[in-house]
Amino acid sequence: MRSSATISCALLLAAGSLPGADTRRTPDGHPDLSGLYDIATLTPLVRPPNVGGRLNLTDAEAKAIAKADADRKAKLNVASDPNRKAPPAGGDGSEGAAGNVGGYNTLWVDNGNGAFKIDGTWRTSILIDPPDGRFPEMTSNARKRAMERGRLQRPNRGDAWWIKEGITPGPFDDPEIRGLAERCLLGFGSSAGPPALPVLYNNVKQIVQTKDTIVILNEMVHDVRTVRMNAKHDPPDIRKWLGDSVGHWEGDTLVVDTTNFNDHPALFSATRDLHVVERFKRLDDKTLLYRFTVEDPSVWTKPWTGEYVWPATESRIYEYACHEGNYSFANILRGARLLEAEALAKPAGQDK
Amino acid sequence: MKKNSKTALAAAALLSAGALFFAGVSRLDAHHAFGAEFDPNLPVLLKGPLVRVEWINPHTWFHVEVTAKDGTKEVWMVEGGTPNSLLRRGLKRDTLKPGQVVIVDGYQSKDRSKRANGRDVTLADGQKFFMGSSGTGAPYDAPGKDQRK
Repeated sequence: MRSSATISCALLLAAGSLPGADTRRTPDGHPDLSGLYDIATLTPLVRPPNVGGRLNLTDAEAKAIAKADADRKAKLNVASDPNRKAPPAGGDGSEGAAGNVGGYNTLWVDNGNGAFKIDGTWRTSILIDPPDGRFPEMTSNARKRAMERGRLQRPNRGDAWWIKEGITPGPFDDPEIRGLAERCLLGFGSSAGPPALPVLYNNVKQIVQTKDTIVILNEMVHDVRTVRMNAKHDPPDIRKWLGDSVGHWEGDTLVVDTTNFNDHPALFSATRDLHVVERFKRLDDKTLLYRFTVEDPSVWTKPWTGEYVWPATESRIYEYACHEGNYSFANILRGARLLEAEALAKPAGQDK
Repeated sequence: MKKNSKTALAAAALLSAGALFFAGVSRLDAHHAFGAEFDPNLPVLLKGPLVRVEWINPHTWFHVEVTAKDGTKEVWMVEGGTPNSLLRRGLKRDTLKPGQVVIVDGYQSKDRSKRANGRDVTLADGQKFFMGSSGTGAPYDAPGKDQRK
């Protein structure tokens, strides 16, 4: 009996799958991954150009990154002039979602306060394969689609540029061509995924684990992923927003395979051909390692892989009932109609 | 002196790397593009008492009563971020009370309704919400820890 246990133990050790003696386990013997995790990190998905091909940051660099972020936020959080004037006409020059109107105060943002570490070293990017930390080459069709999307992007000048440029259909012509996040259908930035990626706020995840089912609840848009253990995928004609996820254990690693996406996965650029394999492994009592491989032959010429840690959090997970107060969507469409009417009422060539 | 300036240069380079690194990370996407909703040609400065706060997702809306020069009053709606971030910083639904004066600078909605983005929403003295309340909800005071009591 004892020798058999010793042999099993030796085999497990050889396979590299024997966890620490203190690993929390479920009654069926698998590592217990359940709990709350805050996945926010300042480390980007794609390796920034200024670190070249390096996988790791030095301690000093990681410290500088955290300090630069803390300083920036502290600066943005100091009191404003109570006698301040309105911001500049024509916009404040802010970019991205802030769209030349400045977005909102920093205290709404929860994007982490530092880089993350794996195996004791700080990482420069989540993406680790290709080894340069950047996406593999896109297919020519995917590049064409990206260019087409880019054709409908303009800086916010407060005008109906699509009318002036004669672009039909315009970007606001149909509510169903607006983004999934704007329509509260999925969280932005592949927050729930798969693959799950850190975003600007609402980065808390909750894993609930049973023998047959593992659920990943995402605070963002309370997207829920249900992983059926040791099951087969649904038939290919059944398509889902978050894909169809089935799981199994490889030693102490939970492997989740997801296919059967509809035409609009949360992951940028991805198509219904998206296939994601995720690996969840407990590194210690308070940390999971999350590794994922993405393949979508309609978009990328090769698969790509990323990894980062999911640290346990004492925070609660809050509801994010996105449809409850999504006034913005109606405001956006109403605004577009008004700007269009103005543009059509003006003689040709006479701008606002 | 030489050593000091070398150290200072190294520190500056690191900070610069940090700043650049952050620039690479800043995830500029959000629930919706504020640029699609608000008009950069219509800047506003609103000052007045809160009428009510809609503590809802995806974004909070503050209703602020503004008195025009001719004495007429109108209520503006001001868009902020998710209440979830504020909950984590100890701000609750009833923390901001009707009657509390706020100052908002932002841009009016493209549909010309009385709506604006809360580019900078502060209390009447210019303080950001819950700044400086050490250990009891100041942002980034205890990252990742739920401060709600």
